[in-house]
Amino acid sequence: MKFAVDRRRFLTLAAAAAAMPMAARHGAAAEPFNFQASWINDAEFTGYFIALDKGYYAEEGLDVTYFSGGPDVIPESTLIAGKADLTLTTPDTTIKAIADQGAPFRIIGAQYQKNPIGIVSLASNPINSPEDLVGKTLAVPPVNIISVEAMLKTSGVDRSKINIVPYAYDPTPLIKGEIDASVDFTTNVPYTIEQAGAEAVSFLLYDFGFTIFNDTVVVTEDALKNNRKNITGFLRASRKGWNDNFEDPSVWPPKFADSWFKGTGRSIENELYFNRAQQPLMEHPDGIFAMSEESIEANIEALNAVGIAAKREHFDTSVLEDIG
Amino acid sequence: MATETLASPRPVPRRRMAGQGRLGTLRNWGILLVLWEIVGRLRLVADGALPAPSAILQRLWIDWSDYPPHIWATIEGASIGFLIGNALAIAAGILFVLFPLTGRLARGINIALFALPPIALSPILVITFSGMTPRIILAAIGCYFITMSATVTGLSQTDRRAIDIVRAYGGNRWKVLRLAQLRSALPSILSGLRIAAPNAVLGAILAEFGGGGRFGLGVYLIGSLGRGEPDRLWGIGLAATLIAGLAYGLFSLIAARLTGASRAVTMPAAAPSEARAKGFLRETMIVLASIALPFLFWWVLLYAMGTPAMIAKTPPALFEYLFLSPQSATNLGKLAAALAQTLPMTIIGMAVGLAFAFALAIGSVLYPVIVRAFMPVALVTQTMPLVALTPLLVLMLGRGHSVILWITVSVTFFPAFVTMAQGLSLVSRAALDVPRAYGAGPLKQLRLVTIPASLPYVFASTRLAVPRALLGVMIAEWLATGKGLGNLLNQSRGYLDYGMIWAVAVVSVLLSVVFYQLVVLIENRVLSKRGMSPAQ
Repeated sequence: MKFAVDRRRFLTLAAAAAAMPMAARHGAAAEPFNFQASWINDAEFTGYFIALDKGYYAEEGLDVTYFSGGPDVIPESTLIAGKADLTLTTPDTTIKAIADQGAPFRIIGAQYQKNPIGIVSLASNPINSPEDLVGKTLAVPPVNIISVEAMLKTSGVDRSKINIVPYAYDPTPLIKGEIDASVDFTTNVPYTIEQAGAEAVSFLLYDFGFTIFNDTVVVTEDALKNNRKNITGFLRASRKGWNDNFEDPSVWPPKFADSWFKGTGRSIENELYFNRAQQPLMEHPDGIFAMSEESIEANIEALNAVGIAAKREHFDTSVLEDIG
Repeated sequence: MATETLASPRPVPRRRMAGQGRLGTLRNWGILLVLWEIVGRLRLVADGALPAPSAILQRLWIDWSDYPPHIWATIEGASIGFLIGNALAIAAGILFVLFPLTGRLARGINIALFALPPIALSPILVITFSGMTPRIILAAIGCYFITMSATVTGLSQTDRRAIDIVRAYGGNRWKVLRLAQLRSALPSILSGLRIAAPNAVLGAILAEFGGGGRFGLGVYLIGSLGRGEPDRLWGIGLAATLIAGLAYGLFSLIAARLTGASRAVTMPAAAPSEARAKGFLRETMIVLASIALPFLFWWVLLYAMGTPAMIAKTPPALFEYLFLSPQSATNLGKLAAALAQTLPMTIIGMAVGLAFAFALAIGSVLYPVIVRAFMPVALVTQTMPLVALTPLLVLMLGRGHSVILWITVSVTFFPAFVTMAQGLSLVSRAALDVPRAYGAGPLKQLRLVTIPASLPYVFASTRLAVPRALLGVMIAEWLATGKGLGNLLNQSRGYLDYGMIWAVAVVSVLLSVVFYQLVVLIENRVLSKRGMSPAQ
């Protein structure tokens, strides 16, 4: 761990040092800002890595500390615990927490315009629509059960006719035929399945009625009031990082092989596949993180259909307007 | 007749037996490896989910440059936790023996710490602390109860005569502790450390899952889980196992060096003294205090940590969540339904695990070679992170009851086996010489002396098995079957339903405590009839 901390420090320092002349021009000391990612280091966060390494955050006067996520990290919890200033979440859990428990969250942006979560199956036993699921075994991560049930409901498929089992983010049972389909990031798993010598097909829950964002950018109400400048700076710098990335999605992942992606157990080819696949799900005419009124409306509708009391006031577009 | 028995040298010279045993063990390991290789090469198990050892090694070789930072991170968390947890455990054990009242007061806290399912604690720790701390805490908790119990067992099972000698020469309580009790407790403490070592590694890895750090074998495992490469998962599992196994081996070696001389040669004749029952009122007070203390501890700790109220549920907040709020009925309903699924599996799994451990412990007396060959397998199932093992088990066994049973048996079996085997091996030689002199075979010796003499250890291992069985069932539910408390816990985590997370944690602790008390009740009855004292 010592090694890891030192390395991370080193990278942050290096990035800060590279940005020093510009920071000096701004003439302000960098303010600490903690960012909690929603998963382990993979291509999902390329834009932030670029912004860190190229000193975009430092230009905004921010000293950003990056916390990796994982299956057990509940990003919203880190906001409540005060360990992070900003995090990425799935909108269904965030809004459920606001509505059911009065959690003081606001959604201020969306990384994915279309949720990359979908139903993945083998081409040899293809599942191309919700109807195909009847009589099959589907592995679902417990946190996504609501989303899946919503999709089934809007598609008019009887949930009791599908055998739903827990999914531990391991595609092996699918490849071996123990399950017929799994719910996972369509930007990622098909690659793994191809590597294992099989062919995958997939469809997005989004395209069958569950029209929600993913990796929604979330802060607390309090932070939105009192830390607005830094939040805006973070989002602006992050957008810059993402724009750099999508100029050519093949450029950046290999550069992080020995830094951000080191020791994750995943290959750079995998990250490249991911990075290319996510581009159409993220880009928006109004820029990365945009939340148009129509898509907010679509989110609210989809969530209301599953009994999550989403309201327009849970989304706050003012920071996006500030970035311009 | 008597001369004949004495003349025929029944006990085989020890050195020769040991040499043969070692060779036999090596041979058996070799056979196991070859079998595994064949099974893996021919993809006999679950269409290749069990890769051949050579494939695992090959993959390990390719990935090797990834490993060092992960291994060091895990070792750091596990070893700091191991040191802290065991230091506290031995200190607490000594305190409890010196002042039995403290032991009885801390009983509730001890059992709660022991019974707390790490999967419930890990997310709470991760939110509250940062960096290495959650890993250290979980590793330390993994060690505490086992070493504390072993310390108390060792200290309280001291031969009365040794204590009497120190007393007779004017030794005070401290001298008795230092000269007689600590020495006789050493083998027991060391065997505690032996089980604690893999537990520390397991605790650290579990915390790494939720820690959000960059390095650690648990972190590496998460990254690899999504890759569908069983050979790498096994490689990581084996690396974790190797760390745990080395720690286990180290303490076995130390134990063998130190305890050769201090094994009991004769049987203590006197029944251990009983310090109990000094009036009903006093007893009730103590019991009530020991029940109240963990709740108080929980409350004070949250207050001191300053964790936000939405995450940190205090006892009154939890009570409100379960009984007073408008959603209470739904909450209770969910909890009850989950409990009804978890409870029966726990009981069955525990029974099977214990029976297996007992059979093997007896086997270790009769056929040491076979058992020694089996030990590495047992250690692998013990230290191979369950999160890595479960997907492989699911491929082999499906998602029904059998997978729950396998996981539960594999987690309860090992500590129970070590404790029982230790009890069996500590039986005094003189006691064994009696039936032996009368020509009794090994089976008869077992029945007449070894098993009855090791009863305290059988009960102690049953008590150890209780919460582990529950943990095993919950992990299986969480990863494989999607039912019961384990699934409820995981789902509530995802929905930020902190009230339910705490409710599941508290219910599982209470469940363990009830089981535990039941075992203690039976234990006290049986042992007091035989004039033995329970191994605390």
